[in-house]
Amino acid sequence: MIEDNGIVIAFWILSATTIACALMTAAVRELVQAVLFLALTFVGAAGIYICLSADFVAVAQILIYAGAVSVLMTFAVMLTPAADRHNSETIFQAPALVLSGLLLAVIVFVVLDTDWAISDAGAFQTTAASLGEAFLKPYVVPFEVASVLLMVAMIGAIVLTRELEEDDDA
Amino acid sequence: MTEGLNLDYSLLIPEFLLVGLVVAIVGLDLYAPKMKKTWLAYIAAAGLVAVGAVSLGYWDTDDNFANIIVVDDYTTFFRVFFVATAAVICLASATMVAEKFRHPGEYYALIILSTIGAIGMAASRELMTAYISLELLSFSLYVLVSYQKFDAKSNEGGLKYLLLGAFASAMFLYGMSLIYGITGSTYYSEIAVGLQNPTGDFQWAMLMGLVLIVTGLGFKVAAVPFHMWTPDAYEGAFPPITAYLGTTSKAAGFALMLVLFSQAFEVVHDDWSWMIAGIAAATMILGNLVALQQHNIKRLMAYSSIGQVGYMLMAIAALNSDTAQALLVHLVGYMVSNMAVFIVIIAWYNMTGKDEIADFRGMRERAPLLAWVLAGALFSLAGLPLFAGFVTKFVLFQSVWNEGFYWLIAIATTTSVVSLYYYLQIMRQAFVEKPAEGEESRLPVPLLMNGLAAALMVGVLYIGLYPQALFDVVEAATDVLFV
Repeated sequence: MIEDNGIVIAFWILSATTIACALMTAAVRELVQAVLFLALTFVGAAGIYICLSADFVAVAQILIYAGAVSVLMTFAVMLTPAADRHNSETIFQAPALVLSGLLLAVIVFVVLDTDWAISDAGAFQTTAASLGEAFLKPYVVPFEVASVLLMVAMIGAIVLTRELEEDDDA
Repeated sequence: MTEGLNLDYSLLIPEFLLVGLVVAIVGLDLYAPKMKKTWLAYIAAAGLVAVGAVSLGYWDTDDNFANIIVVDDYTTFFRVFFVATAAVICLASATMVAEKFRHPGEYYALIILSTIGAIGMAASRELMTAYISLELLSFSLYVLVSYQKFDAKSNEGGLKYLLLGAFASAMFLYGMSLIYGITGSTYYSEIAVGLQNPTGDFQWAMLMGLVLIVTGLGFKVAAVPFHMWTPDAYEGAFPPITAYLGTTSKAAGFALMLVLFSQAFEVVHDDWSWMIAGIAAATMILGNLVALQQHNIKRLMAYSSIGQVGYMLMAIAALNSDTAQALLVHLVGYMVSNMAVFIVIIAWYNMTGKDEIADFRGMRERAPLLAWVLAGALFSLAGLPLFAGFVTKFVLFQSVWNEGFYWLIAIATTTSVVSLYYYLQIMRQAFVEKPAEGEESRLPVPLLMNGLAAALMVGVLYIGLYPQALFDVVEAATDVLFV
């Protein structure tokens, strides 16, 4: 099904958009614009998930990343003083470009050189049901550890943002 | 596909008990406001000891939960190791935390929750579970390091730890995805099978995956060159959390590495052995040399712990059943000695509020028991005979030597001698230097701290003089990894 012309065209368009937006995220000076480009990158990734017939992951990606995370980041940027909202010039620009270029070369080489293991499993009927099945049967432990992890994140957020208490001199 | 999975929840009772303990402690803190807050520490420690006792009941079990969590002697060993460490840390924090915070329940809650993550790292045989357990441990530690939110150093240390830790996690995740890409599985046993039958040429993706995984784990255990966060995080954190960072966080990293590399990557030993050997050499040299220049005790212990990580990494580089045993033996010896040092640092900090090395002057006159424990524990870390460090280092170096890493052992013995110098610098302050003017009086050391220090010192001497019991336990624990 991935061989269909439509899917191939969609994949290339989505990939090009995603990569272009990712580049712009790093390149633009204004932080607000960077956040908007990042949101577009998230949407592009969601599109690629759809091409892979992972519809549930795609919807989750749009809801959580393109929706919640981008809004959160926009708020964070808006709440910082306007003067701090610009990426400043840095002398590390040239070395960073060289380094990331080298990294890109290595990754491209690795991707092209490797014989990737290709799954011969058929497409899912409904991915949400399969995910639910996986989470509650074989992967129930990581699922539960993830809930403990969320509890830690919640406790941590409360501890670190709680108002100063009257006898709390730490 | 899910048929025949063993979903026996009774294997996970110790972890459920730990979560229950967390809820109990936070609840007690909230609903029993009249209770003295130091009691939270005692309850946490008692609960942890109880969980340790329950875990001991799983000795000689060899079972798994859905092929993801394995409960065998290796898991039991680390369960007991981590809850024991956490119990000592809770006791050591009692006075300090009760003084500084009105609601210290969350502090103990985070310590206990991080213990679950550490146990998960040792027990899991699947990469996703290992990763999420690693994150559970790391998240708790990020919060614990930045717990003093109005202290600039604590903020700095916490932020550096968080940013670099998140970066390291991302690398680990990317490495995992590459390994998954070529083997088609995240289960260690299937990864080993996938790597064993290469479809043709050398797989560059495997090498890249290994590099990224080693980098990610290197950050977590603070190996050079991924150690930049360590001194700042150690200095910024509460002293008990510094001790916790130096023991549980490192031991969990090594527990994961040991099982991952022996179960999943052993078939491609030659492809990663060299890089870990190189990192080990750099870690030993840099950690021990930079430690020479430190004047803050916590920064010194940070670099000293980096040096110790170098010794332990040698065992991973030369991984076989002998070095795995030696690694666990050394971890236990290091844990007991390091905790003993930190108990002294914590007690001293509680009484004087100071943590520079020069502030340790005259400890022999002001707190003789602490001074002697400090001396014994530091000798143990340096690896002098009679103490735990000698036996454990000897076993470790010998097993690595037998694998033919002569140059690593040369570096290790040389840097051990170097480390003796900076440990002696602390002892010179404690024993030779006179106390400052007007501070000659004996300090009232709490019974709890004296007791903890003495108990840990007994442990150091016990391992040093009669290590056979530890060897037997460790042999049973690592046997399950090499079949």
